[in-house]
Amino acid sequence: MAKSQLFPVTVVGSWPRPQWLIQALRKRQAGEISFDEFNTTADDAVLAAIKYQEDANVDIVTDGEQRRDNFYSFVVEKLDGVKLMTLTELMDYMKDRASFEETLRALDVPAFAMRSPVAVDRVRRKRHLALDEFEFLKSHTTRKTKVPIPGPYMLTRSMWFPGLSDKAYPVIEDLGRDVCSIVRDEIVALKEAGCDFVQLDEPVLSQVVYGSEGEETFMCAALASRRDPTEELRYAVELMNLTVKGISGVKLGIHVCRGNWSRREDVLLRGNYGPLLPYLMEMKIDQLVLEFATPRAGELEVFKEYRGEKEIGLGIVNPRSTTVEQPKSIERRVKEATRYFEPSQVYLNPDCGFGTFAERPVNDAETAYGKLRSMGTAASNLRKAWDGRANP
Amino acid sequence: MSSSSKNLNGLEVSKMEDFVKEIRTKPDVVKNTNGPWRSRVTWQGGLKAKAYMRNHTVTFDEPEGLGATDTSASAHEHLLSAVGACMMTGFVYQGTLKGVKIHNCEIALEGTFGDIRNWAGLTDEGTPGYPEIKAKLYVKADSDRKTIERLWANAWKHSVVTQTVARGAKIIPSLEVL
Repeated sequence: MAKSQLFPVTVVGSWPRPQWLIQALRKRQAGEISFDEFNTTADDAVLAAIKYQEDANVDIVTDGEQRRDNFYSFVVEKLDGVKLMTLTELMDYMKDRASFEETLRALDVPAFAMRSPVAVDRVRRKRHLALDEFEFLKSHTTRKTKVPIPGPYMLTRSMWFPGLSDKAYPVIEDLGRDVCSIVRDEIVALKEAGCDFVQLDEPVLSQVVYGSEGEETFMCAALASRRDPTEELRYAVELMNLTVKGISGVKLGIHVCRGNWSRREDVLLRGNYGPLLPYLMEMKIDQLVLEFATPRAGELEVFKEYRGEKEIGLGIVNPRSTTVEQPKSIERRVKEATRYFEPSQVYLNPDCGFGTFAERPVNDAETAYGKLRSMGTAASNLRKAWDGRANP
Repeated sequence: MSSSSKNLNGLEVSKMEDFVKEIRTKPDVVKNTNGPWRSRVTWQGGLKAKAYMRNHTVTFDEPEGLGATDTSASAHEHLLSAVGACMMTGFVYQGTLKGVKIHNCEIALEGTFGDIRNWAGLTDEGTPGYPEIKAKLYVKADSDRKTIERLWANAWKHSVVTQTVARGAKIIPSLEVL
């Protein structure tokens, strides 16, 4: 990689949505406007999200996930056999409601605010998951592009709910196969359309490892009938590798964080990536898009045993804080990462999106823009520092 | 849509307006609505109970730790729920009359016993009940924050159950041994 191309700056996906877009989203959810009418309104929001990123010198841009209500439940518009259900509705099907209530209280969220796409019939593709989003993005930027899509494990886990899904899918593995096929087709379609980077979002993996015990749980998505964490992680590897098998010509990443719904650090999960790394390394993907901007994520030292095995999308700014990180502190952290990764393997991104959930953005556009600019400045300084030197 | 057929938040607004008009102008409607309201609680064996209220029933039990079978919520948990449900009724009712569209609404309640030993008859000190009840409203509605705050304040200030609990209703026990 040429030095001018080192340390590409990118985002994890979402951008805070303007209020008028949220109003349109509510109308769409109430069935008052059509899918196409909503998308026409969202076009303007996507253009604004692209402009913010380009002005901040982001090298690989997304559409800000402006057309989605969150990073995974938007699939209900794209798939047949899937129903969007609030946790309030799902509570009637849960076995262990008491521990679920504990989680709700710990997170300080209402059950109605969390929605999960639930398989209520055989799942079939009605529309592409993200190809339309990508085509609009591609036609309005000359930058490299990234499209985040929900990962196969998270989709399978959140969509299979006993009592609702077992008629169409007696066991979760049956649904898993269909999900892998749908996600795989999407990656191939995105690649063929010219997408540079497909990111598979699997934030619930940290919930599997660090979340409270209980049969049903949720962090970003509801997980029903959770098994032993080791079994779950093995299953996640199996689904991921089945999904991406043989695909080349597009960068593939996996994003794992510890929750991004609240600015309260104490309600978000904590723990280093150590227990997850053996499984992430087994996945046939290029890049790990991970959070490292807060102490909750632990230290980079966990990569000591895996030096240079994969690229890192280094979470370098906190999407939830009001303070904009200084380029110098970003540069220090990136230099630390180069102890465990080749400089050509290090990408700079925020820990997570700025508006993971449409109605609960974790930051405003102005602050988010400041954070992207800081990353852009830091990347530029780092490239200069690396120019002509092996390891400054 | 004419005002007589307007439906907001799943409620027929004209019916609500008619009711408000009636209790404003007709003392006999006020008298009838005031009550008495009744419940008959029957023993179902163990620590289980069943309450009959008009044509409705609710069951009660206690956790297994007490030697019970935990088939239903405890009476004190029903109390928490009743406080929350009553506040929600007031919030939605008043909000609807003011034309506020409520998309979603949820109340999380919590109480901690003063001293369980008092309940068990081991001491007369303190109270076996909840010295305080926390209630947090989560709401998504088409309205400004100030209006929502006012509706929420009125919801507990004018709630039948909340005020019964907060003001400590006088209980008049009596007994007949058969």
